[in-house]
Amino acid sequence: MRGRRPSPVVALAYAIDVERLTKRYGDLLAVNDISFHVRTGEVFGFLGPNGAGKTTTVEIIETIRTPTSGHVSVLGMDVATRKRDIVPRIGVLPQGFSSFDRITVRETIQYYARLFGCRKPDIDGLIDLANLKDKGQEQFKNLSGGLKQRLGIAIALVNDPEVVFLDEPTTGLDPRARREVWEVLLSLKRHGKTVFLTTHYMEEAELLADTVAIISNGTIVAMGSSHELIERNANYLVLTLKTIDGAPFDLIKRMGFEPVQDDHKTVKVRVEQPDDIQRILSTLKEAGASSLSVDVRKPNLEAVFLKLTGETLREGPVEEVPG
Amino acid sequence: MSLRIIAANLVVSIRTFSREKSTMFFTIAFPIILILVFGTIFLNQDNVSFGLHVQDLDQTHSSAQLVTGLEFDGKIRITAVDPAINAMQYAKGKKVDLVLVIPSGYERALARRLGLVGGIPNAAFRDPNASVTVMYISDPSASSTSTKIQILKAGFALVNQGMSGQPPFIKAAETSTLTKAYRFIEFFVPGIIAMSVMTSSLSGAVTMNAELRQTGVIRKLSTTPITRTEWILSNILYQFILAVMSTMAILAVSYAVFSVRLKIDGWLFVFIVLEVFAFGGIGMILTRVANEAESAAAAANFIMFPMMFLSGSFFPLELMPGFLQTIARILPLYYVNEGLRAAMVLADNHAAVRDAAMIGAFATVVFIVGIKTTRWEEAA
Repeated sequence: MRGRRPSPVVALAYAIDVERLTKRYGDLLAVNDISFHVRTGEVFGFLGPNGAGKTTTVEIIETIRTPTSGHVSVLGMDVATRKRDIVPRIGVLPQGFSSFDRITVRETIQYYARLFGCRKPDIDGLIDLANLKDKGQEQFKNLSGGLKQRLGIAIALVNDPEVVFLDEPTTGLDPRARREVWEVLLSLKRHGKTVFLTTHYMEEAELLADTVAIISNGTIVAMGSSHELIERNANYLVLTLKTIDGAPFDLIKRMGFEPVQDDHKTVKVRVEQPDDIQRILSTLKEAGASSLSVDVRKPNLEAVFLKLTGETLREGPVEEVPG
Repeated sequence: MSLRIIAANLVVSIRTFSREKSTMFFTIAFPIILILVFGTIFLNQDNVSFGLHVQDLDQTHSSAQLVTGLEFDGKIRITAVDPAINAMQYAKGKKVDLVLVIPSGYERALARRLGLVGGIPNAAFRDPNASVTVMYISDPSASSTSTKIQILKAGFALVNQGMSGQPPFIKAAETSTLTKAYRFIEFFVPGIIAMSVMTSSLSGAVTMNAELRQTGVIRKLSTTPITRTEWILSNILYQFILAVMSTMAILAVSYAVFSVRLKIDGWLFVFIVLEVFAFGGIGMILTRVANEAESAAAAANFIMFPMMFLSGSFFPLELMPGFLQTIARILPLYYVNEGLRAAMVLADNHAAVRDAAMIGAFATVVFIVGIKTTRWEEAA
């Protein structure tokens, strides 16, 4: 199968190429004319809230959904016409991965290896990579959520794919299980695989992705490394002071900044230059206004997302930045 | 089409089956239990006997002879009622459905009718008007009462006719349309085979389509080289293996416990294959119509249970009212039941061909529609 068409000998610059992709479900415009590339060997983070069009986009690239219009190619092959050639060369962890309840971890990996026709699947290697060493004989239904996801990742790698798609690999996991999945993903990254990661956790994208695309309502609103995105869209610092009285708030305000203060006498102020921090702190010191703690932070992708879309990535409180 | 992929699926299915106790129970144990229960209930249907309570008020040699005659070679078990007690109260008190009372004076009346003088019949003394009246004290609501009265009336008619001294005019002879005698259990076994193949194919199709889709297994499979055709074929093959297993279990128990005599040949194989395709096809269509796994399983039960009773799996259709018999003729399971009985019990090849053609045509249509309606890639 693989040898039938000549595959490119020279590595392609782009593992995935999406041009003006649109997907409609009746009246609903799920994906609205998006274009982007994924470079070979990079981890591409597709970041957006639920319902933004992430899964629709990734399923079109994985060849299991058809686009309404636009052009998508994977490893230089058009998804509309080369499904049979693409499938053996990609690995997929679908959203909400599940497998046969009564089949053990080892048997499940064996099964998928057979589907792909792998002659000598490195089952032990995959079990090691996914950190499932003691779980080989465990049936799928007895695995915890984190173990199921790690098995899903091992299966996504069973055919030694050139591109790996991971659709929300840590959704629904507790923080510890999430960190354990991240360990696996980091070792994947070290192996130099091209990874397409969709997520609505900005820490995940920041930690793992070389390039991040932010998608909202079916449109890509920003793309670049997380550093670039933050520089471009949230190039400021946030100074947080825990105070014992209102003095620092008034002093900072008189300096021309716009601080905000909450009930617990925590003062936050957004500054453009690192020098401003120095100025504020020395002014406070000179005036004898004491503070219990001082914290300076750069905004994260969450703040970038909030600025660009006016939406939060997930429910719950977000570190809101005045400005 | 890849045999490697089909084999991989079979391995997963068979492993799941061997680890899933409830599937094992419904595939193997349930039909065996049905065979044992129904087989035992109807085991003695061919030599049923009735109980009859008789009060002999005459207490003579002749009346005793009559009572013995009423046993009809064991068809009726006689219980004697004490002549000193009131038969009506006896019947009520003991909740007896029928008491036959032979009046006193039975022997005297018999002697006058036959013209017996010193025990020797003499035509000159014969009194043709001498008669006796026996009494049935009966509870008409009991189901076997009328059957027993019919048997008794037929017996008395024979006695009366014999006394007239003339040979009977209408005589009867009986020839069976069957080449060999059969028993109820032999009719029942093919019905149970058809039923268990139906339930396992239908619920298997529901599992493969609805449950695995709902849990997302199919979505994962659609990103691998397995095709929809390979997936459906491996499931059909697995259903066929299950069908063969439960058929063998049913036959083994039927032979071991009830010593059935059935003809087992290629027809059994043909009907099982056609039935697996027919009900696998129905299952695939059902799961497309009812999208959630639970409603699909409910819809499958809604189809299976009426079909079991209406298509003659458990009892002969002749016992049902005419319109239900008409309904049975549009049910696919009816043709499997009839076909299997034609092949296994009656050795009637013509009927088997006809029934196989019916179920084969049905299976072809629903299976093709089933394949067309099974979604593999995500919708649209």
